Amino acid sequence: MTTRRFAINARRGLDLSRPLQIALLCVFWLAGEAVARTTEIPVPGGIVGMFIVLALLASGRLSLLSMRRGANWFLAEMLLFFIPAVLAIMDHQELMGWLGLKVLVVILAGTIIVMSVTALAVDLCFRWRSAHVHAGPALD
Amino acid sequence: MSMLVLLSTNPIALTVFWSAATIGLYFAAKRLYRLWPRWWLTPLGVAPLLLIAITLSCHTSYHDYFRSTQWLVLLLGPTTVAFAIPIYEQRALIRRHWPVLAAGVLVGSGTAMVSAWGLASLLGMSGSLRLSLLPRSMSTPFAMAVSGDIGGVPDLTAVFVVFTGVFGAALGEAVLYCLPLRSVLARGALFGMGAHGAGVAKAHQIGREEGSIAGLVMVMVGLVNVLAAPLLGYALH
Repeated sequence: MTTRRFAINARRGLDLSRPLQIALLCVFWLAGEAVARTTEIPVPGGIVGMFIVLALLASGRLSLLSMRRGANWFLAEMLLFFIPAVLAIMDHQELMGWLGLKVLVVILAGTIIVMSVTALAVDLCFRWRSAHVHAGPALD
Repeated sequence: MSMLVLLSTNPIALTVFWSAATIGLYFAAKRLYRLWPRWWLTPLGVAPLLLIAITLSCHTSYHDYFRSTQWLVLLLGPTTVAFAIPIYEQRALIRRHWPVLAAGVLVGSGTAMVSAWGLASLLGMSGSLRLSLLPRSMSTPFAMAVSGDIGGVPDLTAVFVVFTGVFGAALGEAVLYCLPLRSVLARGALFGMGAHGAGVAKAHQIGREEGSIAGLVMVMVGLVNVLAAPLLGYALH
């Protein structure tokens, strides 16, 4: 009885505590890293961890509530984790001049092309499919 | 003075200082952006520029700065795990529309490689620099793996990836206004395909559905490309 009450309290605590959920996400990431390293698959550990969590959620072994607040924190502050990587530009002085400008043009023009082509392709496929396949009500 | 010298050589003090500077400037830049939302005031632009100014004036090399703040970049790992939650929440939407998303990922990945190759050739770039530009639309861990596979410089690719994210997140909004996009799928795929992690963050600001589609597309793009990279490397040589 007391162990059951402890389990219920522990679950309730996890559902409410963001730091605990953040720690739990880190544990799944480390587990993913370990799996990726031992099986030598060429997939980053974070992705393996994501699939582990998806499998646990789908099988009902893990509830969305036990991680949602932690996950929302990570997703909201994601840009912070990119900042140290941006400073790598300091090690590439050759990109500070003309060449850097050309690279920037490739990145800007390329990204506009990729975004437009992808979004239009998806939209076309979506319209074609909702006209030909009964995929339920249209989503706008 | 000797106190300062001691502080500047102690690795723990350095880690605390540079981490605090990075985190503090990030939150300050975020607040500034909330007060004044202009695309050129994006936190991913303002905070690094100020940090570069500080590292240069402290005579700190990138190597030393990165060693002190590497743990922040490592947090991209659990962030990737966190994508499981929005993806699972939108499972009905994804189950119904996965063929459309798969088509978008294939078309988008092909377009990303071809456009980078074509534009780089047009501007007279060649060799490993051109190859390093090819995987720029993927999220960093995937892009660096693909870059190595196809003969690029992973280090350089990481820089291009970040720049694609910074500008892509801002450009995406402009593209969104210009295109007559009807479905939430297209709006999400635009950010996930075009600007990886930074795009996903932007898509989450636009809507929860857009955000989870973008996150899913980003993961799909990475997986498809990592699996195709050895083949692509063979074709390019």
